[in-house]
Amino acid sequence: MSAPLPELLAPGAAVERAAVRPRARGGLARGLRLWLPAGFLILLLGACFIWPNVYPVPNPVRGSVLQSGLPPLSPGHIFGTDPVGNDVFSRILYGGQVSFEVGFAVTAIGLVIGSLLGIAAGYWGGVTDTIISRVLDVLIAFPALVLALAIAEGLGPSEVHVIWALSVFSIPAFGRIARGATLALREQTFMLASRLSGTRGWRVILRHIIPNVMPQLMTFSLLGVGVAIILEGALSFLGLGIPLPEASWGSMIAQGQQTLSASPDLVLIPSAFLFATVVSLNLVGDSLRERWANPIGQSR
Amino acid sequence: MRRIFLGGTAVLLAVAAAACSSSSSTTTSTTAPASSGPKEGGSLTVLEATGYSGDWPDGLDPATNIDGAADQDYMDAVYGELFELGPKGAIIPDLATGSSISSDAKTITLDIRPGVKFTDGTPFNAAAVVWNIDRDLKSACTCKPTWPVTSVTATGPDTVQIKLSAPDGAFIDEIFDSTADWIASPTAVQKMGEKAFAVKPVGAGPFEVVSDTLSSVLVLKKNPGYWQAGRPYLSTLTFKSVASDEAGYEALLAHEGQVYVDMSTPSLLEEASKSSSLEVENQLSTSPYDLQLNTKIAPFNNPKARQAIYAATNFGPILQHVFDNMYPSVQGFTGPGGICYSPTVPGYQGYDPTLAKSLVQQSGLNKVTINLGTIQNLVAQETTEALQTEWAAVGIKTTIHDYALAPLIAQFVSGKWQSMIQTAGSYDPAAGVGVGFRFSSTSPFSGVHDPHLDSLLNQAAALTSLSQRCAIYNQAADYIAKQYYGPFYFAFAPANVAVKGVVGPGLTQPLPAVVVTPTILWEDVAYGS
Amino acid sequence: MAVAEQTAREQAEPGARAGLARRALGSPSLRYAGRRLLAAIPVLWGVTFLTFVVMNLLPGDAAQELLGANATPAEVHQLEVQLHLNEPFWVRYGGWLGGVFHGSLGTSVVNSENVTTILGTRLPVTAELLLYAFVASIALAVLVAILAARKPNGVVDRLSMVVSMTGLSIAPYVLALVLVYIFAVRIQWFPAIGYTSLTANPVENIKSLTLPAISIGFPLFSVYTRLLRADIVEQMQREDYIVTARAKGVRPWRILIRHALPNSMFGLITLVGLNLGTLVGATAIIEPIFSLPGVGAILIQSIDDHDVPVVEGIVLVFGVVVVVANLLADLLYTALDPRIRYERSAS
Repeated sequence: MSAPLPELLAPGAAVERAAVRPRARGGLARGLRLWLPAGFLILLLGACFIWPNVYPVPNPVRGSVLQSGLPPLSPGHIFGTDPVGNDVFSRILYGGQVSFEVGFAVTAIGLVIGSLLGIAAGYWGGVTDTIISRVLDVLIAFPALVLALAIAEGLGPSEVHVIWALSVFSIPAFGRIARGATLALREQTFMLASRLSGTRGWRVILRHIIPNVMPQLMTFSLLGVGVAIILEGALSFLGLGIPLPEASWGSMIAQGQQTLSASPDLVLIPSAFLFATVVSLNLVGDSLRERWANPIGQSR
Repeated sequence: MRRIFLGGTAVLLAVAAAACSSSSSTTTSTTAPASSGPKEGGSLTVLEATGYSGDWPDGLDPATNIDGAADQDYMDAVYGELFELGPKGAIIPDLATGSSISSDAKTITLDIRPGVKFTDGTPFNAAAVVWNIDRDLKSACTCKPTWPVTSVTATGPDTVQIKLSAPDGAFIDEIFDSTADWIASPTAVQKMGEKAFAVKPVGAGPFEVVSDTLSSVLVLKKNPGYWQAGRPYLSTLTFKSVASDEAGYEALLAHEGQVYVDMSTPSLLEEASKSSSLEVENQLSTSPYDLQLNTKIAPFNNPKARQAIYAATNFGPILQHVFDNMYPSVQGFTGPGGICYSPTVPGYQGYDPTLAKSLVQQSGLNKVTINLGTIQNLVAQETTEALQTEWAAVGIKTTIHDYALAPLIAQFVSGKWQSMIQTAGSYDPAAGVGVGFRFSSTSPFSGVHDPHLDSLLNQAAALTSLSQRCAIYNQAADYIAKQYYGPFYFAFAPANVAVKGVVGPGLTQPLPAVVVTPTILWEDVAYGS
Repeated sequence: MAVAEQTAREQAEPGARAGLARRALGSPSLRYAGRRLLAAIPVLWGVTFLTFVVMNLLPGDAAQELLGANATPAEVHQLEVQLHLNEPFWVRYGGWLGGVFHGSLGTSVVNSENVTTILGTRLPVTAELLLYAFVASIALAVLVAILAARKPNGVVDRLSMVVSMTGLSIAPYVLALVLVYIFAVRIQWFPAIGYTSLTANPVENIKSLTLPAISIGFPLFSVYTRLLRADIVEQMQREDYIVTARAKGVRPWRILIRHALPNSMFGLITLVGLNLGTLVGATAIIEPIFSLPGVGAILIQSIDDHDVPVVEGIVLVFGVVVVVANLLADLLYTALDPRIRYERSAS
């Protein structure tokens, strides 16, 4: 059967449908592919959220101008300082907080609202489906950049507004996936059986649909977090995300870009963290998807 | 990158030349090239950053180009100027040969250079100049000249007489700051229609237009009929728009351009200075950065609070660490490129942290959070952040806001702003974004409403003698310092970066800034590698 | 646009199973296309309407932006009247919409130029850039996916996975900065800024668009490669007809290219259709970095300037492109699909 469209949105979605990588070696390599990036993410999350509260780091926004433009590995500033004297390492940590907060919030909103809409559209079909699908179509065809810019211009740039703006992207994406997955499920015999037995709509959704689409949605979520982090970076890069002088990886890259020839590390360091974070999220997502598609015996 | 250069504000506001007077000075020095003779026939590509000079979305018609002085490089190349501001502040007659002013400073006579033709062959004469100035004055553009003109007439084939309703001795100082300096071919405007003309303008300047992609690329070639023999040296001149200082710098390194105009990023300037293939020419500032304080509302209606700000700011380290000591520190509104330069003001309240702390307590400044605003641009942002840090050391809490142009204006108009970092001053303090703009009670962008200061400024405007005017401007600076109306920081002017082999005023010779940036005299620029 | 679902329902119609040519020209297809087109119109309207609403919610307006600092409230009001900005929301939207039906997109509030002219000069740049990015990324993706799928877990496969994971995870603006720094400044193979038109100099034109196209195309390439590869491998291992073919001794390459690939393509095509819409944002970031005079470059500036006609014009054009692309993808999907189903059920 041809793949429902929304699944195509998740790269490597086909992995779910087939044992594309028959593992001769199984356990170790597979474990590494999950736990290495996951470990990195956990470490990074810890560093960003816990470290500053436990161990003093220089203030990310109140740098003394007497310390401006120090190169990496300067005493007291392991990543150096930016042109106004803020410590880059601490800005990386605080910027990471912003990235994760925005990434998870946008994905959570998309997951909850988008999935509910998608499931409703897929399950009930008919008019509900048409209306919801049209709305999702409009949101997808709508250049969300315009909306994001408008929100930032009109309400002023802030983390919350960025989350709203990016949710416009994430809701339709989840909506489609959920809808497609629901449609695929609907045809299955156990669904038919439950409908024939007279189980009411909501119970069907709760007891059968949601648990079955969850794995798909969860793995898509991890990818979504990465995308949301990149998009937050893009908005901050354009000056419409987290306002200066607050730290955000995107605005650090934008600021660093203005002096790329003189101090490339101001671009390279936040770019490296951005890249590493998104790669890890993608690798974990891939790994989880692989596991759920074809578990190997009793592997963890 | 959206980058609305501070000068953008200055530009849009600058062409409101206040009525004032000064002596008429028409020095007739010309910039003579080096005796060995610059290479002729060079081809130059000049890069300019978007957000300010790199945009010309409305085209290049002086009567409709809202961006006015921001686009002066292109306008000067195509139209030439009636009068130019040259090295050492000399006013150079270009398409005009001289001027005179009546004793009551209400009638100005301009002598137009005879025998000049526009590039479409039609004569450049007094009638054309009159037609242009009339058109400029009648235009709906915010860039139009604001002289109180009652009549403009051609009193001879090459003489123009302008009558004013109020005296203005600084007229010539103001003319090279205004769109009236650029004369368009009336025949061409009428034949092509305004819209087409704006894209392919016709003037009598050293270059003529080959092609023009608005806000992107402007290709010019030498005007074979240019009035000055042997000029321009260059055979083609191309302007390209780039995204930022960094993009311009990269383009220079990649040999995609030979000149980058108006670089202000300190670390890039440092890199460029260290590079063996590039020359950095710092221009002479005429517009110092100052901190405007709104004396109408709390907390800065209290002189002690204002004095606390003066005492809390130590600009030396900021100049050193953020700006590499590239710019002179000043205490008034004049800069080294302008006519009444006086860097120090006797009795200026300098850095005194102990005094600052006690004043902060006395005035209750420690109980409020100050709103510090500025325009979105790298230099301004770095300055505000640095100040925020310094003030925190004496107990002053600040929040910073970087505004785009419209919200910035809205802030001023609403009257709710508390402090703003801006530039104040001009080549002639009476012109453009001069003193009145920031300190007179009639300006919407001023935080000061002091009749005594107003009278000082008006007095200086009404006089014709330069020395008398400067004396009064010094008094004004003294008064501003005594009333703590706003500290001045440094006389900033961006630098021009060029590859070795390019010579010319503004590129290998410093020029005073007209409105934040100088007007490069393109006819005197040569390039030979 | 739930392609697969709609398609599935269409297939149930009698007479839908036929040879490829007859299917493409047969009435069910046309009716389907017609229906999809009709469905697209409310979407387009919704997009433009939503944009208008959003632009109007922004504080300030074009008159204030244009007149800048010197303007008194009276002057601003005068300009507003001149530009019809003081008219109520519905009048303005109706006016614009009416203009569209007459073929006019209005004039820019900022410089009174025809929006059509503005778009006319800028769209070719953006279109060429996107075309370059798409064609290159799809072509390379097909190539790499075939090579990778030929031997799953072989060297090429693993390498392709690493590369595509990188492309998925890198931000386009970061990639652009790195590319410029290395290839334009240090090595100078490509220009760092600027655009040469195709008619002026084809070679320079391609050079000036290469780095921007890579910045946009590399993430696309990565997504497509992963998708194609996984799809092809699945088919090679799962599908009965392929197993049969191999058992019959048909050579693997032939199977790959003549059977597995086309079936995988329409998944790719629908994805491409979806991607187009998000690319407005990408061009808005990439074009300014390279100083390309395209549509993305003025989008942000126009929003800043409250230049509603220009913004609407851009939104409308991209909306049409997205809708048409998705429609074509749908049709292709429909055209290709039954042949596979026919083959599958036959084997």
